[in-house]
Amino acid sequence: MGTFIQLVVDGLSQGSIYAALALAIVLVNQATGLINFAQGGLAVLSAYIAYVFVQLGLPTILAILIAVVISFAIGAVVERFLIRRFERGDPDTAVVVTIGLLTLVTGIAALFWGYNNRQFPSLFPLGTVDLFGAVVSIRSIGTTLTILAIMIVLQLLFLRTKLGLALRAVADNPSSAAFSGLPVGRLLMIGWGLAAGLGAIAGSLVAPKLTLTPGMMDIALVYALAAVILGGLSSPVGAVAAAWAIGILENLAAVYVPLIGHDLKIAVPFILIFVILIVRPQGLFGRKVVVRV
Amino acid sequence: MVAMASIVALAVSGCTRGGGGEEGDGEGAAASPGITDTSLTFGITTPLTGPTAGPGNCTADGALAYFGVKNAEGGIEFGDGKTRTIEIKTYDDQYDPQKALANFQQMVAEDVFAAGIGLGTPTNRAWREAAIDEEFPQVLAMTGDPLFSDREESPWQLGLVATYPQEGNAFGTLLAESGEDHKVAILSQNDDYGDGYVEGFKEAVADADNIEIVGELTYEATDTSVDAQLTELAATGADVFFNAMSITPLVISSLQKAQQLGWTPSWFLPSNTSSPVAILEPGGGAAFPGIYTVAFSEAAGSPAFQESEEGQAFMAALGEYTNQDGVPGFPHCVWSWIGAATLEQAFKNMEEPTRESFMEALLNISDFDAPFMLPGAAIDTTVDGIPAVSQVVVQKYNGKGYETAESFG
Amino acid sequence: MNRMSTLLRNRWVQIGLIAVVAIVLIVAPLMLPVFANQTLIRIGVYAVAVLGLNIVMGYAGQVNLGQIFFLGLGAYVAAYGVTHDWNILLVFVAACVIPGVVGLLIALAASRLGGLAIAMITIALPIVGVPLAKRLSDLTGGSQGVSARFSGAPEWSGLFDDQWQYYIVLVVTVGAFVLGRNLVRGKFGRGFKIVRENEAVAASMGVSPYRYKVLAFTIASILGGASGFLYLAAVQYTSPETLSFGHSIALLAAMVIGGAGSIAGSLIGGIYYVFVPQVTNAIDPTLTAISQGVILLAVLFLLPGGLVSLPRVIRRLTRRRTSRPTQGGSPQTTPAQPPPAAVAQEGPENTERQSRS
Repeated sequence: MGTFIQLVVDGLSQGSIYAALALAIVLVNQATGLINFAQGGLAVLSAYIAYVFVQLGLPTILAILIAVVISFAIGAVVERFLIRRFERGDPDTAVVVTIGLLTLVTGIAALFWGYNNRQFPSLFPLGTVDLFGAVVSIRSIGTTLTILAIMIVLQLLFLRTKLGLALRAVADNPSSAAFSGLPVGRLLMIGWGLAAGLGAIAGSLVAPKLTLTPGMMDIALVYALAAVILGGLSSPVGAVAAAWAIGILENLAAVYVPLIGHDLKIAVPFILIFVILIVRPQGLFGRKVVVRV
Repeated sequence: MVAMASIVALAVSGCTRGGGGEEGDGEGAAASPGITDTSLTFGITTPLTGPTAGPGNCTADGALAYFGVKNAEGGIEFGDGKTRTIEIKTYDDQYDPQKALANFQQMVAEDVFAAGIGLGTPTNRAWREAAIDEEFPQVLAMTGDPLFSDREESPWQLGLVATYPQEGNAFGTLLAESGEDHKVAILSQNDDYGDGYVEGFKEAVADADNIEIVGELTYEATDTSVDAQLTELAATGADVFFNAMSITPLVISSLQKAQQLGWTPSWFLPSNTSSPVAILEPGGGAAFPGIYTVAFSEAAGSPAFQESEEGQAFMAALGEYTNQDGVPGFPHCVWSWIGAATLEQAFKNMEEPTRESFMEALLNISDFDAPFMLPGAAIDTTVDGIPAVSQVVVQKYNGKGYETAESFG
Repeated sequence: MNRMSTLLRNRWVQIGLIAVVAIVLIVAPLMLPVFANQTLIRIGVYAVAVLGLNIVMGYAGQVNLGQIFFLGLGAYVAAYGVTHDWNILLVFVAACVIPGVVGLLIALAASRLGGLAIAMITIALPIVGVPLAKRLSDLTGGSQGVSARFSGAPEWSGLFDDQWQYYIVLVVTVGAFVLGRNLVRGKFGRGFKIVRENEAVAASMGVSPYRYKVLAFTIASILGGASGFLYLAAVQYTSPETLSFGHSIALLAAMVIGGAGSIAGSLIGGIYYVFVPQVTNAIDPTLTAISQGVILLAVLFLLPGGLVSLPRVIRRLTRRRTSRPTQGGSPQTTPAQPPPAAVAQEGPENTERQSRS
């Protein structure tokens, strides 16, 4: 039983890593209707920016906040001068542009900081607490709570604020949003900026565990995409719940289903998605999209 | 139309069929491609970008630094009496076997004399047979795959670092000889790397009644966490943990996770992930009764290395000729340096400017006192089935660096 | 311009052109240096893979992020056949059929769902495929991979190995492209187009979106398998690394860069996939990530329709310049529809995706 609870707790903290990135992907998708493959790469770049300020002697929390602000600007600039050109065109082209951006950003991080693993200080102490017979590190509790907080803020942003409504309107239908007097361009920039800022938090949260390398988020990105699709592209709560479910089920399946084992556990989230999408094509928490003829 | 345009473009950049290494029957006197009276071109294809770029860059940088220094000194005097500079050409294969082969083909077209030192099992395997066909030396490969040191199967190849089974075997032997009863938990990377270590270890403890393997799990090189495996293995109550893991952050987080679970066995770590500064310190290695590793070279991060004259020359060369910034995080930089020194040894002994003569010289190095080798470890290229690094030693962590371990415990 | 296109439409001129291209393609390897042939061989391998991806994605509009899985599967099947001494034709057929059947089964299940489900399942293929290939080490040789050499030139041909491999690749590639071209120009191509643009309209016209999606996916899988066979002919070795997710993404990028919804674009995509790493290696081998990112972004920024749209863009630019004195400023405000002649000349090859908005 102790092992079982430990596995669930471990899965939850692993799922939080996916959730952090998944939230940023949901945000960009809500704000611009695009799936951004570069989200992980941008998050890594932000974590490196925070790292620079930590090296300069600033407290970690301050360094992360500065990185959030800088990342917001980077996100907005990238939207304005790169993504803008592709937003109204073929969606496949836009996705490939984000792939190119991922390659470029990873290369830039490597150019400045090399490929050596760098230690990023954690916001939370290394200690552990006992919880129902399982050992939980304070770090993963801290990460999980931060993710929860961000999720709630995002959910409120989208559903309860004018900005959130405007962002969704622009993503949904840019031209009619423009007709109703919304500053479409500025809103798109804000959407990307917010997502990049969120990515900075995500990157800084997972960097202590994964250690900082240019490709730190490459694998997490795949899981985050899975979580986003499983949870429904439009729902922060859904993305987080899905990311946790993936983390936990993956662990349990690896240990308790010998046929799957630790090597094929990565198949579990995908099988799960398949089954769920057959039942609910719009994802667990997503809204059904009606296509006009 | 497009095809034609591309053909024209290719024709401009390519070389002609006659100029390649095809007519290798010049009976010794004619020089092989890639070598003149004043220079020799050596190619390295290795992952310089992508997920394995950390060790990949180090793999190229050690050699770049070594020959950078040698060239600045005027070059190397070859066995035929001529002094040549060594031009290193690096190629990025991104750990993609297909690109490694393409890079090899490009090297042949660009008249590279020989190639090697590159990192990776699948990438090196992808052009092994093509190199044999071309009678092209593929030497000092940075992989523990024993295939490259099988003289029969791989006449134009040689591995550099100790094979994975060699390393696993060395630790298994030490453990079996301890005479005490030990329960061993094994975690290994699910590929030839992990399998090789486990195979060597099991072979060494097969006849030892005092060793019992109580748990054996694997992980994927792409995993971001092995917490579940550690939770499962901790439950076995093993007092020795054989961890054949090549991913730096995973080793650090395993060390931390084991402590959090209150599981403090003796550890075994492979040579490429046992760095005291980069791994054991952040992981809190001092909490365990003993951390053992297998090594043949000194660690660049150790104080002794940094204070030695040789070590400082190494750091200065890395700083001048490569993009490395500070103490490299991977041992491959030092290994590549050792590989370059071994190459120099072969150059000094090759009597004709041909690939045949080079291979002959390379496969006849013994008693070579290579830089940064640990006492007890050795370079010997004359033993069939064994790569250039023929002897390894087991070491134990002492809280700062490593000391050679005579016995377990 | 007009005279040129009428000339091009003349049947005899067309046949003559095809003959010239055919002769060039057949004679080229005998004249070219080894490395040029080897590069052309690899271009053929990836052009076929990109062609498959283009049919399912560019033409039928189904997101497919797992094309590399079928290439890898084809290569493994071919390697298995070669190491078990099957007849080479049987190896080729198996390397196409087995991935085709797997693709068909996946498509039968996935196409019932929305586009996202297909995207996710196709991501899963390479991600799960890599550990699966390691697990099935009896068949695949595990992580050390398997080498299978069957493409050495036979004694009687008097050719060098690279020339022989070139002809193998040429035959399969030309076959694949001719089939692909006929497919998208015929009834199926029109079906794909309608399904891509609006499934509801397709259904109302009696075109079953489900059936067409499954068909497109299956064809892509078969072409993926064929390219896997070619991969083995060219590389003579395969390993789990071959089917890594990153390569699948690179294939997708190559398709969009070449030109989505264009047969010629698929060939350009193959050229891009093979050439760019060589070019970036020559620029600076330690900076390939940056230079590849910059090249990709620059190409798409200038030519969002892919490299295949370059002639059209140039034509539009030159026409605008020459026509300005007579027509005033009107062409500047609306990127004018190409005149009928140009449309006819480009035919369905024209990247239809551009006209969709």
